[in-house]
Amino acid sequence: MEIYESNGCRGGIQIKKNQWYLLLGSGLVIIVAVGLLFMSANNSAAPNPQASEELVAAVGTHGGEPEAGFNPITGWGYNHEPLVQSTLFKKDSNASLIKDLATDYTVSEDGLTWTVKIRDDVNFHDGVQLTAKDIAFTFNTASKASGQVDLSMLEKAAALDEHTVEFSLNDPQATFINKLAVIGIVPEHAYEETYGQNPIGSGPYTFVQWDKGQQVIFKANPDYYGQKPFFKKLTVLFMDSDAAFAAAKSGQIDVAEIPASYANQNVKGMKMVSLDSIDARGVNLPIHADTGQKTEDGYAIGNNVTSDIAIRKALNIGIDRQALIDGALNGQGNEEFTGVDKLPWGNKEAIFEDGRIEEAKKILNDAGWKDTDGDGIVEKNGLKAEFSLLYPSNAQERQALAVSVSEEAKKLGIKIKVEGKSWDNIDALIHSTPVVFGFGSLDPTDLYLRYYSKSYDPSNYNNVIRYNNSKVDNYLRTAITSFDPNTANRNWQLAAWNGKTGYSEKGDATWLWMATVNYLFIMDEDLDIGTPKIQPHGADIFGNILEWKRTENQANS
Amino acid sequence: MSSAIAMGNKSLFQGLNLRQKTILIISFTSILLFAIVIISLFLAGNALPTNFESKNLAPSLEHPFGTDWMGRDMFVRTLEGLGLSIIIGAFASLISTVLTLILGLFSSLGKTADSFVSWLVDLFLSVPHLLLIILISIGMGGGTKGVIIGVALTHWPSLTRVVRAEIKQLKTQEYLHISKNLGNSKWWIATKHILPHLSPQILLGTILMFPHAILHEASVTFLGFGLSPHEPAIGIILSEAMGYLSAGYWWLAFFPGLSLLIVVLAFDMIGENFGKLMNPKMAHE
Repeated sequence: MEIYESNGCRGGIQIKKNQWYLLLGSGLVIIVAVGLLFMSANNSAAPNPQASEELVAAVGTHGGEPEAGFNPITGWGYNHEPLVQSTLFKKDSNASLIKDLATDYTVSEDGLTWTVKIRDDVNFHDGVQLTAKDIAFTFNTASKASGQVDLSMLEKAAALDEHTVEFSLNDPQATFINKLAVIGIVPEHAYEETYGQNPIGSGPYTFVQWDKGQQVIFKANPDYYGQKPFFKKLTVLFMDSDAAFAAAKSGQIDVAEIPASYANQNVKGMKMVSLDSIDARGVNLPIHADTGQKTEDGYAIGNNVTSDIAIRKALNIGIDRQALIDGALNGQGNEEFTGVDKLPWGNKEAIFEDGRIEEAKKILNDAGWKDTDGDGIVEKNGLKAEFSLLYPSNAQERQALAVSVSEEAKKLGIKIKVEGKSWDNIDALIHSTPVVFGFGSLDPTDLYLRYYSKSYDPSNYNNVIRYNNSKVDNYLRTAITSFDPNTANRNWQLAAWNGKTGYSEKGDATWLWMATVNYLFIMDEDLDIGTPKIQPHGADIFGNILEWKRTENQANS
Repeated sequence: MSSAIAMGNKSLFQGLNLRQKTILIISFTSILLFAIVIISLFLAGNALPTNFESKNLAPSLEHPFGTDWMGRDMFVRTLEGLGLSIIIGAFASLISTVLTLILGLFSSLGKTADSFVSWLVDLFLSVPHLLLIILISIGMGGGTKGVIIGVALTHWPSLTRVVRAEIKQLKTQEYLHISKNLGNSKWWIATKHILPHLSPQILLGTILMFPHAILHEASVTFLGFGLSPHEPAIGIILSEAMGYLSAGYWWLAFFPGLSLLIVVLAFDMIGENFGKLMNPKMAHE
């Protein structure tokens, strides 16, 4: 509590101490700014202090530090290499399936019973052998925990013998194989609530220590059954991207993930690596009108502007995606039209030409959206073509995309009010308001969850727009239950556009997809990261960590 | 600080007497602040357009404060941010003054009323100020509205405390007892005898509340409450600038920070010089 002078002759209150601190603080910021300017002027990257077989990285890997620790049950390793744990299968650099713990698998005729045989030479880091029981335990626990991976199709997993595990499904989803490739196996004997803080697995790296909010240290597992990693020690620092960049500049770290706005920076002794991704940024356009209906939590459903297909189509073909990428993403991205363009289940025929402002205007005009009061925004029956677009306030590239889309839409006569909010606030508005989302998964189940009518679930983002198209439903259903990859992919594609209907712009124009974002890393020049895997949502830079090495000539210096 | 200004005055405006100099300083600084508000109102909306061809430019004649990562002119953004700050300051001061007046006069009515007011003041002062602002602004639904209400509703306790002390002192004066004995009502005494003595206190308190409110608005937006990160508020500008220090874009923090400093000091200067006018005894300190 502050003490106020009731000094009569000064007649009032003086600036409080803590406010002077703020002033001093801003002064300090200025000094630091100037200091850094001078530092950057004679930019001399110090010689790398790290021994060559140690790697210090500051990379986000989806959201940075896992809140619940390194526990695959709660989501660690989902979409990215779990390092500590191993998975039954993995995906190679072309996203094809390769075996990891598994040696063989068979699926019953009806698609409901999956039998997986596993290696018999795998030990956990504490020396105990990994058996089918651990696998059954992992999947049963994950299914009950309902973490980030959707395991609703799994009835139960059971160990048939030491090295055979059987999965019983309640729905013959061929995409179940992808679940087997993302969930790291935890040891039944050492699993407890605090497992995430002291994880034991069977992966290429063993866990050493986790300093919350600062760093996590791994060291190479000498008994690993696969290829031995070059880097014997791996330290991952948790820091903001600007701090990571500064640390990389001063030679303290070997790899840093940096925002696209830093793409033009040069650091001596380091190279910039920009990885293409399948991580698409798109906007959900609520397809139902606001009829006063509410969700179970009392949140409004529907949007009277975006529920008009003319608006959705005009936005899709009217905006110039390349302009968004060049501007908002600093050139670090690729155009995206259906959300899955770059994947085998993306439909090339659903891709369209964009930046067609005149055509977009014509679509609006034909649908009755006209600018009658001359304010540059079109109206229809007294309703202005105006809606809010939300972005999570901590995501810089989404902010930039939202602001840029709003400017592109202005050219069409559509007013988009951009608002940054926390996810908690966004969750309450998601059924009635467009949001800049990010999606990118090597599992086509994503499509099923996004567009299949029955996928809608108020507790998550599945089918947030409540899309309901029986044709699309049929294709999605056929796709997810087809064990033949060609049939499956064909049906995934037809769901986007079959010549008559689909979820893509040519059909119902359900979402506004804009771009896939590149992931940008700055790393030591002598670091060789091999052929990186396909980068999903949140990136997976360590996906091929076993291939990483330092190039010969510099490793010995 | 006041001595430095006084010395500056000597060389700047020779031939003017102290009173004239004081008035001159007040009018100059007031014009500066008014200009910022008016310009920011005219600019409203211009700070948002992005221009990715000219991003991260160092200060130049075209962009005196440089540009940011979306190519937005920082001079325009800073002006808009300051305008918002000053408007929030004005709101806060106005509402606080009204609340102070009501509570102050109410406290003069009797012992119970007085202890109620001082209890209310203590209650509000016992919660950390910034926390209270954040709570209120989130409670009001966030956004610009939330920040304005949060800042406006939390600045009255200190001024109320000063005013209450002044009233207590006034109440010991002989003429109040006489007036009471003559049969005048409590309300009549409060408005006719006490209020006129309070007006200088309140006027000064109001002006000096501006810098508080502005700094609180900057702090709240700096911490990321209230406004969206793409909107121009001085706190948001500063917090965004922090992310670019390591890239060497010093102008993003330097000029907006300096401008905030100048605005806050200008209000402080007006308040202090106003005090000299209202209370000539202090002018010779």
